[in-house]
Amino acid sequence: MDRRLRIGKILIRRFKAAVSSVLLMSLILAGCSTGSTEEGEPKDQAGASSDIGSTYPLKTSEGFTSWEALNNNAVTFYSNLAETPFGKALAEKTGVNVKYVHPNDQQTKEQFNLMIASDELPDTIEYDWTGRSAGSYPGGPEKAIKDGVILELNDLIDKYAPNLKKKLEADKELDKMVKTDSGKYYVFPMIRNPSGLVFRGPIIRKDWLDDLNLPVPTTIAEWETTLKAFKDQKGAKAPLSVTYTGGNFEIRDAFIGAYHTSNSFYIDDEGKVKYGPVDPQYKDFLALFRKWFAEGLFDKDFALTDGKALDNKILTGQTGATVSLLSGGLGKWMDAMKKQDPKFKLVGAPYPTVKKGEVPFTGQRDFKYNPGPSKAITTAAKNPELVAKWLDYAYSDEGAMLFNFGIEGESYSMDNGTPVYTDLIKNNEKYSLQQMVSQYSKPNGPYEADERRNWNTFPEQDEAVKIWSNTDAEKHTLPAFLTPTDEESKELGKILTDVSNYKEEMFVKFIVGKEPMENYDAYVTQIKKLGIDRAVEIYQNALDRYNER
Amino acid sequence: MAKHPPQEQHAALLTTSRSRNQIRWGILKDIRRNPWLYIMLTPVLLYFTIFHYYPMYGALIAFKDFSPRLGIMGSPWVGWEHFESFFEGIYFWRIIKNTLLISFYELVFGFPAPLILALLLNEVRKTAFKRTVQTFTYMPHFISLVVVCGMIKEFTMSDGIINDLLALLGWERVSLLLESQYFRTIFVSSGIWQNVGWGTIIYLAALAGIDQEQYEAARMDGAGRWKQMLHVTLPGIMPTIIILFILEMGRVMNVGGEKIILLYNPSTYETADVISSYVYRVGLQEFDYSFSSAVGLFNSAINFMLVICSNWLSRKMNNTGLW
Repeated sequence: MDRRLRIGKILIRRFKAAVSSVLLMSLILAGCSTGSTEEGEPKDQAGASSDIGSTYPLKTSEGFTSWEALNNNAVTFYSNLAETPFGKALAEKTGVNVKYVHPNDQQTKEQFNLMIASDELPDTIEYDWTGRSAGSYPGGPEKAIKDGVILELNDLIDKYAPNLKKKLEADKELDKMVKTDSGKYYVFPMIRNPSGLVFRGPIIRKDWLDDLNLPVPTTIAEWETTLKAFKDQKGAKAPLSVTYTGGNFEIRDAFIGAYHTSNSFYIDDEGKVKYGPVDPQYKDFLALFRKWFAEGLFDKDFALTDGKALDNKILTGQTGATVSLLSGGLGKWMDAMKKQDPKFKLVGAPYPTVKKGEVPFTGQRDFKYNPGPSKAITTAAKNPELVAKWLDYAYSDEGAMLFNFGIEGESYSMDNGTPVYTDLIKNNEKYSLQQMVSQYSKPNGPYEADERRNWNTFPEQDEAVKIWSNTDAEKHTLPAFLTPTDEESKELGKILTDVSNYKEEMFVKFIVGKEPMENYDAYVTQIKKLGIDRAVEIYQNALDRYNER
Repeated sequence: MAKHPPQEQHAALLTTSRSRNQIRWGILKDIRRNPWLYIMLTPVLLYFTIFHYYPMYGALIAFKDFSPRLGIMGSPWVGWEHFESFFEGIYFWRIIKNTLLISFYELVFGFPAPLILALLLNEVRKTAFKRTVQTFTYMPHFISLVVVCGMIKEFTMSDGIINDLLALLGWERVSLLLESQYFRTIFVSSGIWQNVGWGTIIYLAALAGIDQEQYEAARMDGAGRWKQMLHVTLPGIMPTIIILFILEMGRVMNVGGEKIILLYNPSTYETADVISSYVYRVGLQEFDYSFSSAVGLFNSAINFMLVICSNWLSRKMNNTGLW
């Protein structure tokens, strides 16, 4: 009896110990998951500048957290950037072990919102802070700094980012783009190479054109003939199809530009900001697509066609022309059909115009500064100096090679001073160039893209870039990094939500024929009533300030 | 939404007539008598307190200009501003109308569907057949909503299966989800397809509880199958039907936003845009949390009133109700 009781007591004590140790463990784990830097030694917080040094690898045992999207292609191989050959090399070269947190590819926007709302910020965030594009930080960088989300980087760049500083000083145009009106830097920017600025445009089935003895169409009239031939002689059910998801019509300014207007805000020939969808000539575009929709030249399932549906339509010969991306569209489809149908061939077509020989009014041409894959340092960063130094590595000569081409001897080798991808990357039997490149380098991110870098797998891609570049887009595109003031962005946000809601609904209805064209004037009046003029004014002011930077 | 088993509500009913003091003593006595029952109840209570009552204080942001960095308490007050901008919005009446209409159709067509299926199944004497039908009708309930909507989209495309059938009958091919007049039909009928089997479970359980002697008595009186159903079966499960109906009424303003968002597009906003999808588009996609919670709060207030009204009505007419 007595013995059994004692055993019982011992068991209870052991049980208690086990429970408390489990509790302790979970506490420790919880601590780890909320902030990775918490366990860093306290001495790092104050005046660690001299210890880290300014040469790479940095002398530090500290790590920090970076929130950034993992490249679409890399996801198929690794779940975390730290595990990729690139991530390992970067950790080794910089001496900093960074913990990467990746949002889910489909929900980047939502997860960013959640992160900001939940108040659990990582040390650095790679995201669009301009407040201009859908999902970017509302109110823009000035607001983000004021809200206490991210840090103003002027001092940090000045002191700890000599490589970036050099680049900004050498390129005044770039410098103008990456700071706010009041002269604040807010990110370590992605700088595009000059040939990486154009990557989207009309794409058409060249093998069909050849079969039908037709030239690549350039004018609206020629396009109509071509699409008709696709429909009648090639059996295409949706000769022209473009994705439309979540209110974004990926045609962007193609076809619309033919009428000297745009699908959103643009700058006219006099340098004045305008909103395309209320222009009188915008009606001509709507009428054209309404006609094409009714005649079956434009996709009958328009507004329901997402990326997957479009892939299907193009690969099964239901669609012969679209507007899409250079590698995410043209390259992808050519690659998919390489084996199945060797005749399958896509080429880039020029942005259509009304008059033959005219230079297209607008098209796609991005700016040197790419806000999306740019990194900001948050207010939660324990050691901003270390983060800044780590980020600055990407702008050094050595870092640029790693970010652009990967690891010498593995992913590239030097040939007369020019980096060339190895066979592992270029001629891999199993995987495409893009898939390989994504493991060894960082396709998009805060660094300067190298002019010598070329991921095109097909000569048609190089050709397409040349064709699509021939537009006046540079003159007519509103920069993505204008910074309206806090008050203005609030007002702007409200107006734009109302306007785009209304505009998208009417846009689709006009095209599918649900709304009579005679109502166009009423539609314009309604948009004016929703305050579009004020929005235009705000952008005009922002543009004026930008030009004065 | 979890539907409470009817027994629980009946238990609650019993307590209404007693005075407060009696209840307090009653509860204490009851705890002493059935301690384990209360211990088992605790997790449920905790769940509701932590996940349903505690978060309610966040509804405050409906009256504030919420900024994530300032937090709920730190954000400045703005009063009724968000409610006003919602009521004054150009789409206010349209989304209210759509919400009510879709709910109405769901109530009219969707609510009786499982009841009818359950009654039919109840008449089936071949167990094997009954089981097969039940299993087949349950199935759609277990398919993820995203997949269901993907299927609906495929079927209604201009070259989808429904159009193939219509084309056989000589109709012109149209992309059905682009036509605003069909949206409600597609939405409600696919909802029935998805939930009819699942909905029968609770009725079948209630049907099993009906006293067999009543059927015998009815047969003695010469009632056929139809009369038996009318005078024995239906009254027997009436309390269940009413409770489910009241619960359903409480959801009138909560049309499944996810499904709408997955199915609609600008050309069907006219008939498809409901409160929740509008909030999603305008509020959440634009980070406007305050606006969204203002609309949400408005929504809940109306739902609350609807539940109270229908409960009152049902007590008046049938003497049964949730409380």
